[in-house]
Amino acid sequence: MRRTGFLYDERYLLHCTGSCHPESPERLKAAYQGIEDAGLLPELTRIHAVPAQQRWIEKVHHINYILRFEEACLLGMDELDYPDNQMCRETYDTAMLAVGGILETAKMIMEDKIDNAFCAVRPPGHHAEVNKAMGFCYFNNVAVTARYLQEAWGIERVGIVDFDVHHGNGTQHIFEYDPTVFYYSIHEHPSFAFPGTGREFEKGADAGQGYTLNTPVLPGQGDREYLDLIKRDLLPAFEFFQPEFILASTGFDAHAEDDMSDIKLSTEMFTWIMKVLMGLADKYAKGRIISVLEGGYSIQRLPELIKNHVEVMMTP
Amino acid sequence: MFIDRSMTKNVITIGKDTNILEARDLMQEHHIRHLPVVEPDGVLIGIVTDRDIRSAMPSTLQDELNCDAVDDKLREITVGRFMTPDPMTIQPAYTIQDALLLIQDKKVGAFPVVDEAGKLKGIISIRDLIRAFINVLNIGEPGMLLGILVEDKVGQLKRVVDAITEEKVSFGSVLVSRHWEEGKRAVFPYLLTNNIARIKKKLRDMGYTLLDPMDWYLDQLPKHE
Repeated sequence: MRRTGFLYDERYLLHCTGSCHPESPERLKAAYQGIEDAGLLPELTRIHAVPAQQRWIEKVHHINYILRFEEACLLGMDELDYPDNQMCRETYDTAMLAVGGILETAKMIMEDKIDNAFCAVRPPGHHAEVNKAMGFCYFNNVAVTARYLQEAWGIERVGIVDFDVHHGNGTQHIFEYDPTVFYYSIHEHPSFAFPGTGREFEKGADAGQGYTLNTPVLPGQGDREYLDLIKRDLLPAFEFFQPEFILASTGFDAHAEDDMSDIKLSTEMFTWIMKVLMGLADKYAKGRIISVLEGGYSIQRLPELIKNHVEVMMTP
Repeated sequence: MFIDRSMTKNVITIGKDTNILEARDLMQEHHIRHLPVVEPDGVLIGIVTDRDIRSAMPSTLQDELNCDAVDDKLREITVGRFMTPDPMTIQPAYTIQDALLLIQDKKVGAFPVVDEAGKLKGIISIRDLIRAFINVLNIGEPGMLLGILVEDKVGQLKRVVDAITEEKVSFGSVLVSRHWEEGKRAVFPYLLTNNIARIKKKLRDMGYTLLDPMDWYLDQLPKHE
């Protein structure tokens, strides 16, 4: 069995988004419940959150934005930049703990204490831009982790795979000009889904040309299309890029029973996707992969989906 | 919606004595297809399009061996000889709608914009209009598109807008179009939110049919008799 880390901290529940908001603390409780009920906890290495050092967040986000976010929280404001981004006084601290927990996880992998890890964090991150909160996201967890791996541990090529049903506009924009971080995303077609980016012709720019790849999928499509498209797009892209470390922006909102999208993946398809990612990690990255939770809003389906996901990570 | 907000103001222009090779190079360098021809005082006297240049040039396939001699001859051809003199123009106070209808009607790619004295103020091309419409649609902002089928009668849009506004969601834009079903219209709000599930549910509960992009997809599948 692999040494799989599991980042979860009850303080991640403190980020409150008010009633009727889909990005709720219940999502994370459901995730934890799925893992606990399946009896996986004793087999996992528990990782507890620590606040991120601000210098790492500054590698991605503008200092003015970091301060603006903290100030908005201290003043008790209930949203940041868009009404989607509902928050409370604990939101800033929670977001710091999310990033800090994942950086701690990355450190444990680089120190060979664990092989891989799943990070059940809130708030999510892939929509967060350099200077703007967006789509329930404040700090771009995955982007900061990629920079940390490069600068603290000398990893040269980080491959990001984003299979949340929404395009990770923030992550794409942060690395658009950068040939050392490959951003791959498969998501519902942007003409029908938030945030309206991630079209096939967005492929990076300047030195980063060819290091961004998007696979938009039409509403109503499901397993068969995902299977074909991931084989067609992701596999050759990573064969070309040879990532030394893989970060997964993991979203479960493409599930057929998740009402945030019109993509209709089965439960089994998520297992298949994770097996593909594990295969890529073994082939190119010495098995080093961190899966970071982004979206996924079906409280009924999350426990099983996340249990399956973690089981794939534990399986040699 | 006046075109002086959407037109290109820093226009690349030429004089009528410029030769055809310079005109061609200027277009290639700036990736443009229209060169207004002006007098030194800025008064518009003509326009040259990339098509004018192509038809005034010899074929690229002919005289390949004699390029230098051909170029020397071409240098003697000045813009004044092949430009369209006195082109159709519009004024800065024209609206975007005027420009759209005119471009469709006259089948041209761009209009020079001139003031009352005939001096060039800008140029509005199909590309400028596309940019203006991307702004109007607001699709540069994060959001998502809904398609709602409504009865073709007064007051429907208000109901839809009110229902969405009550959920504290901002509109990027709203388009209304005819629908192929008689007596129906389609409303397309572009909503600046990721929080869409409850809005869809609310609209369905109000009795509206949401246009399902899947219907289009199913239409594309091969039909089995």
